[in-house]
Amino acid sequence: MSSVQSPYHFLIRRIHSLLGLLPIGVFLTFHLFLNLSAQGGAALYDKVIGTMRNFPGIFVIELIVIFIPIAVHAVYGTWVVYTGQSNLLKYRYARNWFYIIQRVSGLYTVVFVITHVWALRVGEASFAALQHLVTNPWGLVFYALGIIFAVFHFANGLWAFAITWGLTVGPHSQKIWSYVCTLLFIVITVVGLSDLSAFLR
Amino acid sequence: MAEGKTIRLKIRRQDGPDKPSRWEEFSLPYRPKMNVISCLMEVQKYPVTSDGKVTSPVVWECNCLEEVCGACTMNINGQARQACSALIDQLQQPVVLEPLTKFPLIRDLMVDRQIMFDNLKKVRAWIPIDGTYDLGPGPRMAEVKRQWAYELSKCMTCGCCMEACPQINARSKFIGPAAISQVRLFNAHPTGEMNKHERLAALLDEGGIADCGNAQNCVQACPKQIPLTTSLADLNRETNKFAVSRWLRK
Repeated sequence: MSSVQSPYHFLIRRIHSLLGLLPIGVFLTFHLFLNLSAQGGAALYDKVIGTMRNFPGIFVIELIVIFIPIAVHAVYGTWVVYTGQSNLLKYRYARNWFYIIQRVSGLYTVVFVITHVWALRVGEASFAALQHLVTNPWGLVFYALGIIFAVFHFANGLWAFAITWGLTVGPHSQKIWSYVCTLLFIVITVVGLSDLSAFLR
Repeated sequence: MAEGKTIRLKIRRQDGPDKPSRWEEFSLPYRPKMNVISCLMEVQKYPVTSDGKVTSPVVWECNCLEEVCGACTMNINGQARQACSALIDQLQQPVVLEPLTKFPLIRDLMVDRQIMFDNLKKVRAWIPIDGTYDLGPGPRMAEVKRQWAYELSKCMTCGCCMEACPQINARSKFIGPAAISQVRLFNAHPTGEMNKHERLAALLDEGGIADCGNAQNCVQACPKQIPLTTSLADLNRETNKFAVSRWLRK
């Protein structure tokens, strides 16, 4: 029998799950949809960025709504990856694939987000700056994978979110919800990649 | 069946917990309707490898021989299952036998699954009715509830779900799907329900339900088709409600 109760373990795992959707997943979706403005050309895009950057109290909002949640989710998520051990070679089920892709995409997204923030938030953010990054083929691959993996991590995380919070209990509801998450993955990925395509013209 | 047909076994041998492991192959004369246990019995009778080397008999565990005790669980062609219900006529050859990897090895195909029993104790997977006087009959159980709870009671603590779970390894304290599903079983019981807070509290601990990674291998690996992922999701809901309610009443 367990001698010491440490409910903080449960709490941190639930916070980790919650942060993935609120605010991180919502922010990711907003971020990718907003960047569709790049399709309108450099002038429009730079104007939108300027508005966002000069938004009153943007630094505090970014810190509380974006930076801290992502940092907590990333650090704890890395620990979660460490405590797992894939057995994909023995058990080749679809869900077991998703289990490992969720972890790989999470780790990739951590590296991607750090680089992305360093280059375009700490550094100068403009249409020209991103265009410079993605005209390099490696930069383009790095960005395209960043978008695909981040969106996958969100969509598949949303599938698990519904289980973690006890919403989709049975296999049938889990399957239907997986279709919804797949649709979400496709839509947001298409939006994200069309953001990127705007910088290639 | 053709005369002279043989069954080939490839067995991972290990003389003790700290000894090196090795592969040994055995060829047995084919007989129809054999299972892995009857093959191992043949090896026990004549412990000579395919290359004619005399070796020690292979150690394994078995008991019921009808897939209800779980004692003979081992990795057969890479998948955890019971050796008694693994029929040679349905297996690809050579039949590769390995011990379970998530439990301490004792010898050859025999492992120590004590941790599973310890986990059942951790989550208090029993109904406390012992006392100093007769408590009388308990409350009745609804038939519809009895039907799904019966499915959960088929768990034989064999360890297939533990073996298949990527969240169970040396770096993790996860107690695994079997013990968690038993919480759902005993919480469903009308008398067991009276102590459900104790079992749910145990699931909030380190290694508890939050360590599930949703790979859902467990439900595929379970030889008794127990809806383990449904139990896990249901208890996610119950532990969430319990944790919030307990904190609010503090």
